[in-house]
Amino acid sequence: MGKATVIPFGPQHPVLPEPLHLDLVVEDEKVIEAIPQIGFIHRGLEKLVETRDYNQFIYVAERICGICAFGHSMGYAETVERLMGIEIPDRAKMLRVIWHELSRVHSHILWMGLAADAFGFESLFMHCWRLRERVLDLFEATTGGRVIFSVVRVGGVNRDISDEQLKQFVDVLDGIKGEYKEICDTFLTDRSVKNRTVGVGYISYDDALAMSMVGPFVRASGVKQDVRMLRNDGYAFLDGFEPVIDPQGDCYARVKVRALEVLQAIDIIEEMIRKLVPGEIAVPVKGNPADGAEACNVLEQPRGECYYYARGNGTKNLARMRMRTPTSQNLAGMTTALAGCDLADVNMIVLTIDPCISCTER
Amino acid sequence: MALEAKFMEMGAGDILRCAQEHKAAGWRFVQLLCTNTDDGIDVQYSYMKDQLIENWTVKGVSKEDHLPSITGEFLAAFVFENESHDLFGVQIDNIAIDFGGRFYDLAMAEPMTVISPEQKAAREKAAKIAAAKAAKEQQAAAGAPAAGADADLEAKLAGMDPEKAAKVRAAMAAKAKKDVAGKAASADAELEAKLAGMDPEKAAKVRAAMEAKKARAAAQQETEGKGE
Amino acid sequence: MSTFKLGKMTFAGLFKKPETIQYPVQHRFVPEGLKGHIAVDMEHCILCGICMKRCPTHAIEVDKKAGQWSIDRFRCIQCGHCTRECPKGCLTMEPTYAPVAAEKHRDVFEKPAAAPEPAAAEA
Repeated sequence: MGKATVIPFGPQHPVLPEPLHLDLVVEDEKVIEAIPQIGFIHRGLEKLVETRDYNQFIYVAERICGICAFGHSMGYAETVERLMGIEIPDRAKMLRVIWHELSRVHSHILWMGLAADAFGFESLFMHCWRLRERVLDLFEATTGGRVIFSVVRVGGVNRDISDEQLKQFVDVLDGIKGEYKEICDTFLTDRSVKNRTVGVGYISYDDALAMSMVGPFVRASGVKQDVRMLRNDGYAFLDGFEPVIDPQGDCYARVKVRALEVLQAIDIIEEMIRKLVPGEIAVPVKGNPADGAEACNVLEQPRGECYYYARGNGTKNLARMRMRTPTSQNLAGMTTALAGCDLADVNMIVLTIDPCISCTER
Repeated sequence: MALEAKFMEMGAGDILRCAQEHKAAGWRFVQLLCTNTDDGIDVQYSYMKDQLIENWTVKGVSKEDHLPSITGEFLAAFVFENESHDLFGVQIDNIAIDFGGRFYDLAMAEPMTVISPEQKAAREKAAKIAAAKAAKEQQAAAGAPAAGADADLEAKLAGMDPEKAAKVRAAMAAKAKKDVAGKAASADAELEAKLAGMDPEKAAKVRAAMEAKKARAAAQQETEGKGE
Repeated sequence: MSTFKLGKMTFAGLFKKPETIQYPVQHRFVPEGLKGHIAVDMEHCILCGICMKRCPTHAIEVDKKAGQWSIDRFRCIQCGHCTRECPKGCLTMEPTYAPVAAEKHRDVFEKPAAAPEPAAAEA
């Protein structure tokens, strides 16, 4: 019977993409419980609604997080459009979906590289990030930026994608499919990867529901939950949508769900490109949100369901803008998954919730 | 099959009961947020099932009120309850993982309830413009039909950029001066009320322009009167 | 003994050219819409100051009396909001990045009075 020691993990740690502190109560290499602590990157961005009007705030919303940048700008714009009752043209909705799904491809490939780094497979990490560069080149050609795009505005989008750029999209995505399948194969069938991920950090179906988890984290425990099933806004143009689910509930299942979601996202992009209608890309927006008007919106970001709430107060500044990001919901699930695991598996489990702490704390 | 959102109100005593009922019916907890308003803090709980989101708001919570925690039913709420305590000063009892105010460990206590002086000035200006608009509409309803067109214009001006509004007001004032003296007097009174809500520098400029125009118009009327 | 899963990509990598380029000797292809820096056409600028009001970071300053339009390139986040809000359309986003400097400074542009070329001076 060993003695309990408390090991501090983070906020500076080579495996963590973002600053998160965990106090691991450890007994002989087994973690008994983990207590998370965040607050290292709180920038008070929600208070900036008081000094930036609702058109300028979209640039603040984008910069909450580097990976979820497009998701936040799109979610914010959709929420303010609901608040003011603006209907945007169909082409703008479809362009937003194309960029958002490409953002999902980028985020999952980036995550797979980080996961490979977490269990020490560095060459796989490098290959994943090499593929990611092709996706970033696509973003740069169509939006002008690699990470922060500034391409969404309240009322539509700022830029159009020309037909030859659309062809370039399809060419690049087909080009990375071949190499991506090889990487996917490595993740899912390689013996050393399986040793590190199968059976690690198990969360059952009932626990997943009780912890109110969201995103690929919960889909890997067999729960059929994906905001894209609601077919909001641009997603209504899809023929059918079935989320990727895996009932196994451990780290291997989470890797598998994300790996397969990349292929699903590429299919969605190609479907949207085929269905793209010509038309306007933005409508002019006049006036201010009404005093006391409220609106809420949900969006399936790469990390999970993100909830947005806006309230107007009659002036051009919003009274309140709230972005509830998926990682803040998953923190409870992470602490449950960490209880009872080996100390060496803490890296992998923390990474499989795809932590985006800068989104959590804004 | 799109998203449906409902906004409903409840009292502070209903928080636990609401959470228990939703959990029993299989609803999912989405989030907990606070908004700082003039009448206290609004705390909102959101639950979601299939395509319906229900947002239950408890209005007017003060810093002395103690709210019950829902981490007994939904553990994931501990993040938001600690955040509400740190940023807004809302007291919540029995949080499952309670950081006691050290969750964000901020340098300033309850920063979201602090209103900076520029924000206060902006809100007061907006309130004045809204009051002036309401007063105009009342006058238009009771006064002559010709004044109705004026009231519409005033209402539009209340929402415009101050520079443009000043120019339009100056043009409108010039037009009003050409009309009957009584109407000119009422326009002047309305303008004075609007100038009260404007930037003092701009207000001084507009006032100077008005005085100059008034002097010119008065001189013109005198010469016209003498001419006739 | 499991098979070497990444074998195909690794082997193909021996014969492909490297993914990286030798910067600063070689430069990358710059796409057309890249958000680099803001350029102003002083001939058509009316110094209305709308860009100054709309800039989210307060990087632009317009001095109507002195006839000057200046931008702090280190504060600018290249969002492009000013290019869309300018009523005369005299702001454009150029695809080259602002150069690195040892000290922060503002770039000041003056409204041409009699001469047709605008003068650009360091503040």
